[in-house]
Order: sequence, then structure tokens, then C-alpha cells
Amino acid sequence: MKKVIVLISLGILGFYLIDIFLGIGFGVPHFTNGVKDLYLSNSKDTLKVSNVVTAIVVNFRGFDTLGEVTVLFLASTALGGILYKKRHHVGERSVLFPASQVVMSGAKLLFPSIVLLGAYVFIHGHLSPGGGFQGGTIIATGFLLMLLTYRNYSVSHNRLVYFESLAGILFVSIGLVGYFSKGSFLENVLPVGNMNELFSGGVIGIIYIAVGFKVAAELTGIIYTVLHEKD
Amino acid sequence: MVGSPVLFVAIPLLAAFIIPLAGMMWKNSVRVIPGLVLAFMFFLSISLMGYVNEHGTIVEVLAGWKPPIGINLVFSPFTGFLTTLMTFLGFIVWLYSYKFKRNVDFEPSMKYFMLLMLLVTGSVGIVLTGDIFNMFVFIEIVSISGYGLTSFYTRRDSAEAAFKFLFMGAIASTFLLIAIMIIYSQLGTLNIADIADKMPMMNHKLKVLSLVFFILAIGVEAEIFPLNGWAPDVYTEAPGPIGAAFAGIVVKAAIYASVRLVYTMYDFSGAFDLFIIIGLITFIMAETTALRQDQLKRMLAYSSIGQMGLVMIAFGIGTKEGVYAALFLMFNHAIIKSLLFFSGSYLVFNKKNKYIKHVNGMGKYLPITSVLFTIGAFAIIGLPPFAGFWSKLAILTAAADNKMVVLIAVILIISILEAVYYLRVVNRIYFYDKKEKTEPKKPSINALVAMISLGIIVLVIGFYPDLISGILDRAAADLMDKGNYIKDVLTLNK
Repeated sequence: MKKVIVLISLGILGFYLIDIFLGIGFGVPHFTNGVKDLYLSNSKDTLKVSNVVTAIVVNFRGFDTLGEVTVLFLASTALGGILYKKRHHVGERSVLFPASQVVMSGAKLLFPSIVLLGAYVFIHGHLSPGGGFQGGTIIATGFLLMLLTYRNYSVSHNRLVYFESLAGILFVSIGLVGYFSKGSFLENVLPVGNMNELFSGGVIGIIYIAVGFKVAAELTGIIYTVLHEKD
Repeated sequence: MVGSPVLFVAIPLLAAFIIPLAGMMWKNSVRVIPGLVLAFMFFLSISLMGYVNEHGTIVEVLAGWKPPIGINLVFSPFTGFLTTLMTFLGFIVWLYSYKFKRNVDFEPSMKYFMLLMLLVTGSVGIVLTGDIFNMFVFIEIVSISGYGLTSFYTRRDSAEAAFKFLFMGAIASTFLLIAIMIIYSQLGTLNIADIADKMPMMNHKLKVLSLVFFILAIGVEAEIFPLNGWAPDVYTEAPGPIGAAFAGIVVKAAIYASVRLVYTMYDFSGAFDLFIIIGLITFIMAETTALRQDQLKRMLAYSSIGQMGLVMIAFGIGTKEGVYAALFLMFNHAIIKSLLFFSGSYLVFNKKNKYIKHVNGMGKYLPITSVLFTIGAFAIIGLPPFAGFWSKLAILTAAADNKMVVLIAVILIISILEAVYYLRVVNRIYFYDKKEKTEPKKPSINALVAMISLGIIVLVIGFYPDLISGILDRAAADLMDKGNYIKDVLTLNK
């Protein structure tokens, strides 16, 4: 009886939710004076950035991105703090069985190209799809491959902390440079250049490189912490 | 003006990234730097409050883009008041826990102080931001710091509490995102002032749905009744000072968010009645549950939830007097509940499960801490001449002005329950004999300074409520004036 009542009320709730959601009308132009047109025109004319998503994420709403970077930083800090007692010493790990020769050679071959691809993705974040978060994640998968393949592969924890902190400091410092020289936090202080060139968009490229390093270091750190967990 | 509102976020984040590097060189820097940052934030907010009183609201644009394109921060008498309160409490919590985990490993203490600093930063960010997506980001920062701090002791129970909190928080984030999506799909903007300006154009059904999702999401952090299942566990399992930080800082930020939505963004009056109903249910449920608790921290946690219900009721009255009462209650609750958490932690220090019976006879062994706890207990019940009396009087007057007789009766009856369970603890402190052999822990000097300064504030506000009523009055007037908020933010466009 209870289950029937729950099902019926869930059904009624679901019906109304779907009814309302269908009424939103995605893809249909609802509003004439929204911010989207301003974003499109400003990223083309003022910032000279061909990837509008990057322009929005790093410049128009750069403050949000700084917040998101902090969220990731917090997550890795909290995880490191929770698991720190359970960490193995460097070089010891709970790998169930060793990888085969094929995987070992293949991983060695693939690793540099994965890192190169990641670097490419975040350096070209303002020109092509992708950016700091995506590039950083690609680099971290390269480290994941190495950690899974080689039993004694280890990443220096201190070096990760250096990269993570310096990249974060760079991000906030760029913001503060804008604050002190132009009067507004994260404001562009460099010349914007020409559209579709590598050196365009002012500080956007530099911020995305910093984000790329930071995300790569943090995700590698998280993977490393979890892989080194004792039972 | 010495600085601007963005420094409330930029400086702590810069410090958070510097701390791991600085910690490698000088281990104590992980506890010193957050304190310096929190002190800086407190002084910055005081100086900005002075500026705002003379020149009016500060609206700061970020990245050089005027609203609604870019994100903006609003430092008005209302948000400035909350910012000052939060940064002050953040500093006091830091001071109280300065010696915390001194003799153990380096990494947990770094984590503790960094997460504490970012918890305060996120809450201040929620209050200052003028953009709903930015608010979402800060709520994420607060939640994740909260999960980390809850699981700090890495025990089984704290892991369970943190997981509960994480689960609720994750669902809340999803709901918040859905609400923001509905708003953006209809109005094409994320700026709160711009949304408030365009709100009448929105389809009524979608308006209600988005408000429901907002309230469900923010209600988790604000501890309103059916969504607060995580709260007592978290208060019990997190380190003692963090309970004070949650009650005094995080919940205040969440209440601010819901108030900003209902007072500024949405334009229907029915939402005020919703506040009163939610508040009443939360108040009654929490206070009756608090009566049945046998663990001290759980009792304080339920009492904290109940007080938040009372704040919701006061906001729901919807008049300027109601807002004044609500702000006064928020101020008092932040100060008094922190005092109770701080002194209560010492009364049951090192006891397993921290039962109320462990405080038996502590009046002889920890005289100062016991007196401070008693002051806090009397103040939160609302006995004169303590600070809590004035805020309870203010809410009853505000209700009486609107002829809400039933409301007054309910608040007074529930206040008796409150008196019962607080006086029961005070009774045990002074009139029972201590049975256990364990030596009570003497508070360290920094903790004592933090508790005594809170106690002094409670007494001073109790005798001279006029010290704060001017600030509260301006803050209440600022919140009620929706048109002014929209004008302040949007006329930057010229």
C-alpha cells in the first residue's frame, strides 16, 4: 500500500516536472536582450578570441574559473588530508599483478605524446576547442598510465605541490596585476593581438596555461594518493 | 577607501596557494598565515563599512566588464554587516584553535587551517557576489571545505557524517544548477539585479519551479527542517571550533542566499508565508528534539537549527522591523552559539561520546569556562540583561505589530523548552558532584581570550543594544529597498 502511494505521488510530481520542463523550449529564442549577443560580439571584437567558450570562461567570468580551480584544489587537499596516514612509502604500491612487456613498452612510447597532446590542448585553449581543464586532465591520464604500468614509478609529491602552488599563485597574481594597474580584478592587461594567432587574447592564454599545469598536478596528486592507499 | 570587496576573495585564495610552499620552509606558517589573512579580512570589512556609511553601496565590477556581462560584487550596509560578522567570527575561531593539533603531524594542521580559511572565504563570497552562478561556485567552495573538515578525525563516525553531508550537498548542488538553468533559459542573464529587473517577464509556472529548486538546494546548507539530517552528525563529529564556524558562518551565508532570492530576485509575496511556515516547523521540531538529546554537542546542534528557524520566521514577517529582528538574531546567534560551542568543548573535553552528564560539577574545576557557558546559555534563552533578550524582544515586537498572535504564543512556548534544556545543563555544572576520575582539561590561553572576548560582547550588547542597532537599522533598510539594489548595480552600465 505504502509503495503504491509513493509511486502515485512520484508519478504526479514527475508529470508536472516534465510538463514544465517541456515548456522551457530549449533552442527557441526567448529573450532579445540577454547577455549572449554581448558575449559573442565582445569576444570577437574586443578580445580577439576565436573560441567564445574560452573567452567566457577565462575572461568574462574568470572569477568563476578561479573559484572552480579552488574547488579542485580543496578537493585534492581534503583527500590528501584524509588518506595521508594510509599512504605507502615511495616506490611501494598495492599493484595486483605486474603489467606485461607489451604494455610497458607501449606506455613508455605513449607517455611523451600524451603529455604533448595535453600541452597542445591547453596552449591552444583560446584558438581551438579545449583549454586548461581538458589539457590538464589529458596530462594526468598520461601519469595514470605510467603509474598503472610500472610498479616502482613514482612522482615527487613536493614537485607536484610546487607546480600546483606556483600555477595558482600565477593565476591570482595576473588578477591582481589587472586590479592594481587597471582597477578591476582579472582585467586584461596585455595587448590582444590579432584573431586566430597564438599570441592573441591578452592574458587568456597565460591563465589557461596556469590552469593546465594546476589541473595536471592536482589530478596526478589525487591519482597518486588513491593508488598508494594501504588496505 | 583602503581596498575593495574583491580582496575578500583574492587575498585568501592567494594565501591558500602560498601556504603549501611556505609550509615547506617554516612549519608554523600554516597556522600563522590564515590568521593574518582572517585578521586582514576583518579590518578590511570594518574600513569598508565606514566608507559605505558615508558614500553608499560599493558595486565592484570584475575583469573590467560591467554587469550584466561580467560578475560584480556588492558591498552594501546589509552585505557589509554580514561580512564583518563572518570575518570576525572566522578570526575568533582561528584564535580559539591556534594551538590545535600542535604536536601532531604537519599535514593535518595545514589542512585544518587552510580549509577553515577557505570556509570563511566561501561564505563571504556568497554574501558579496551579485551573480547567481558565482554564488553557486562559492557554495561549492564552502561545501567541499565543510566535507573535508567534517572528516578531519578520520574515524568511522566522522566518515559517515561527512558522507551524509556530501550526499545531501551533491543533490543540493544539482538542484541549484537546475534552478539557475531555468532562470537563464528564460531571462538570458545571471546577474541578480538584472534578473530582479526582468523577473515580471518570466512565465509564472517556471518562476515557482525555479524558486522551489532554489529553496530545496539552499535549504540543505541553511538547515531548514526536512533537509537538515546531516547537521547534528556534522556538528558532533567535526572538531569543536568547526561547529561554531558552521553555526556562525556557513548557515548565515545560506540564510543570506535564500533571503536575497526572496526579497530581491523574486517578486511574489507568498514566499514570505512560506518562510514563516518553514521557519515554524524547523523551530518546533529542532527545539523539541534538542530537549531529548543526551550528548552536549548534539543538543547545541539542534538548538542552532532551532535558532535558524526563528531567523527564518523573522525574515518571513516581511516588514522592516522583522528584518531588523532577524539580523539582530543572526548577530546574537553567531556570537552566543560560538561561545557555547567553545566553552562546551572544554566542559566535555576528552570524554567519550561527550554526554551531557560529563559536565557534572565542572563549576569547581573550570570556573571561568563554566561561567562563560552559563552566560551563553542565559543569553540564548533570552534572559535580560544578556544580548539574546533584545533580539527575542525585537522579533516579538515585530510579530505584534503585524497582529500575529499565534506566532508570538508559539515562540514563547517553545522558548520555555529552550530554557528547560539549557538550564538543565547549567544545573549539572553547578549543583551536581563530579563522579569521574579524569582530570578536566584547562583551556589554553588563546582559547580563553577568544571565549572571554565573546562573553564580553554578549554582556556589552546586553547592556547597550544601541551600539549595534544603528548598523542593523541601516542593513534592514538596505535589504528592504529592492529598487535601490537594482539601480546601484545596473546604472554602472552608462
